[in-house]
Amino acid sequence: MTTPATTESRPAERRVIIRTVGMKKIYQRGMETTHALRGVDVEIYTGEFIVVMGPSGSGKSTFFNMIGALDSPSEGRTFIDEVDVAQLTAEELAFLRCRKIGYIFQSYNLIQYMTALENVTTPMAFGGVSPDEARSRGMELLELVGLKERWFHRPIEMSGGQQQRVAIARALANQPAILLCDEPTANLDHKTGDEILDILQRLNQERGVTIICATHDHRMMNICDRLMWIRDGAIERIANRNEVEVELASID
Amino acid sequence: MKTIDVQPQPILSLKRIFAIALSGVKYRLFRAVVTVAVITVAMAFLMNILTESLIKKAVANSARDQIANLHRVDQWIARLSVPQTGEQIIAGLAQADPADPYVAELAGMSGKTPDDLASLQATARSAQEYLQFFQDMNYGRRRVLVGRAESARIFDHLQDPGAYDKFTANLSHMKTLRFPTEADAFQAFLAEWPTLRDWMGTVRDGQAKAIEQIKKSLGNQPLVEALRNADGDFGETLRQAGFALGTEEAASLSREVKRLDNMLLIESTINNPELRQAVAAKQDILPGDVSVALIWDLIDRSHGAAWYVDEMNKAGLDTEKLDPAFIRDLAGDYAHAQLLKYAERQTLDTGGGLMGIGARMTWLALVSMLVCAVGIANAMLMSVTERFREIATLKCLGALDGFIMTVFLIEAGILGIVGGIAGTLIGLVLAILRMALGFQSLLVQSFPALDLVKAGLISILLGMILAAIAAVYPSFRAARLAPMEAMRIE
Repeated sequence: MTTPATTESRPAERRVIIRTVGMKKIYQRGMETTHALRGVDVEIYTGEFIVVMGPSGSGKSTFFNMIGALDSPSEGRTFIDEVDVAQLTAEELAFLRCRKIGYIFQSYNLIQYMTALENVTTPMAFGGVSPDEARSRGMELLELVGLKERWFHRPIEMSGGQQQRVAIARALANQPAILLCDEPTANLDHKTGDEILDILQRLNQERGVTIICATHDHRMMNICDRLMWIRDGAIERIANRNEVEVELASID
Repeated sequence: MKTIDVQPQPILSLKRIFAIALSGVKYRLFRAVVTVAVITVAMAFLMNILTESLIKKAVANSARDQIANLHRVDQWIARLSVPQTGEQIIAGLAQADPADPYVAELAGMSGKTPDDLASLQATARSAQEYLQFFQDMNYGRRRVLVGRAESARIFDHLQDPGAYDKFTANLSHMKTLRFPTEADAFQAFLAEWPTLRDWMGTVRDGQAKAIEQIKKSLGNQPLVEALRNADGDFGETLRQAGFALGTEEAASLSREVKRLDNMLLIESTINNPELRQAVAAKQDILPGDVSVALIWDLIDRSHGAAWYVDEMNKAGLDTEKLDPAFIRDLAGDYAHAQLLKYAERQTLDTGGGLMGIGARMTWLALVSMLVCAVGIANAMLMSVTERFREIATLKCLGALDGFIMTVFLIEAGILGIVGGIAGTLIGLVLAILRMALGFQSLLVQSFPALDLVKAGLISILLGMILAAIAAVYPSFRAARLAPMEAMRIE
């Protein structure tokens, strides 16, 4: 494997795109206090493919909400592209979600009554792209994920893998710098999962999109740059892939 | 600190939002149908009330004169038999226009000129107002305030200073009662009252004298028979005696009496046992169940009149003046009079309230609107909760709160207008059918088409607005939903 080479070929252009400082999240529900995050400091670089692992209830989802500008931390700060998320107005947040971040969900979350193409062009409409341009760009994106011929199908007429591919095309609609994936392969069979992973890897390598991916899927380890483990609301460990591979090899 | 360079989000064209809302409705067709059904039922109820009330109003307006005609003979017989009561004189004087012949009649009866009556008329108007106040009060309270005195006697009772003090003291305790005027005005009125009462006494004396005079001139002739000549000699007698009888009034009075006479002639045949038996046999019922209405009904049928005249001949009754066509006309008159009586009963509540549909109906309409609003709000809330994930996803894709609210409001508006139109049509058709059954020819004469179109437009618009208003809170909730809901794994 040539992984060390790829990770080391990048440092020159490396820039921090997401940075969290002492990020804590406390949920107060009645008398019960839940510390979902207990102070997370992490830096994620542009063009990086990072996999986040952790058992359910570890605070992984909360962490995703924070770095996806979907929720604000109780303490500490989140910077996306050096912008403090907590300082943003509703319009600015909408702008950020629309242009900077693409979201991919475990259950696809496509709008059921829209065709594949309409699903892909909806974020473009929010971004102010003209309908004609949105259409041609949408078709390009669908071609990228291999669904050009099925642009007029509604989600209900598509398989899980196809839906997830539409979701990826939609996430890429406004050329985001960051792709946030929440267990993208969890609902898919092995083969379609492979296809999705392939697409993600290509996006990362060819387009330089920063991909942050929560997963339990061990195939992800083969294509990621770094791995991060979260447990009990704190980072347990961050490691480069080659380090982990060495460990796995030694176990074998 | 670095700031973000925000370009304002373009506002999507209304057409686009409309298309999104419409496809949402289409996708959740079942929910939409239920919501539309709720709106339809509520608007049908509202439109039904509006239509019925408007028709009743129109019928009441167009049949007012005919209805007044129904009572004309009774009223004249009463006036020519006994002097009017104090309350009747007060009410008559209070309502009358100074140029009204009735005012002149009252003046004549009391030996005054109509101009002398101006101040009395003002007092009568106050009296009418106070009488109404006491009449609307429940018995217990009136008992406390004025003892056993009733109607105009209340004013006599209150002439006594002790009684008046007791009255004002008790009235001040009854916080919920609103006396029509200030205490000073009432006191001034009470001071005027004896004048009015004494004058009414002279009116009654005058009326009694006039009635006596008429009785003398009639001799043994019954009053009803004499009234046939109201447009002739007897009318002249009445005028000489001091009663105000206009030419037109006299003509319609005489016509009405003649009509009643003829009808009575037919109706009296019910007392003939042979005829009764014949009718019963024809209708296959017991002779005891034969009624006047039944006989008229029978006559009104084809060949019924001829058959009846035939039967009357067989029974040995005098049918010289009766030809079948004539009594058939009478049957028509009878049916029309019944219809008018029905219309009178049905239209008692009209006037006042919203669009003149009556106060009670206005309440019902408001309640139906409330039901409609609650139903729509519930349906929209359900629609929002069902779509949490979709809304959150849209927010993740960069949708603004305003966009999501607009989508939901437009969706509600679409449902509202569909339900509004359906409900309005259903309510309109049902109400017209029901009213047509009751009012028959009266409805055709006075069909308020323009009013109904107006009411229809109002109720469609109302359906849409109500739906939009009821959807404001649910859509606000939807818009404020945190986008991370979409990230949650169900």
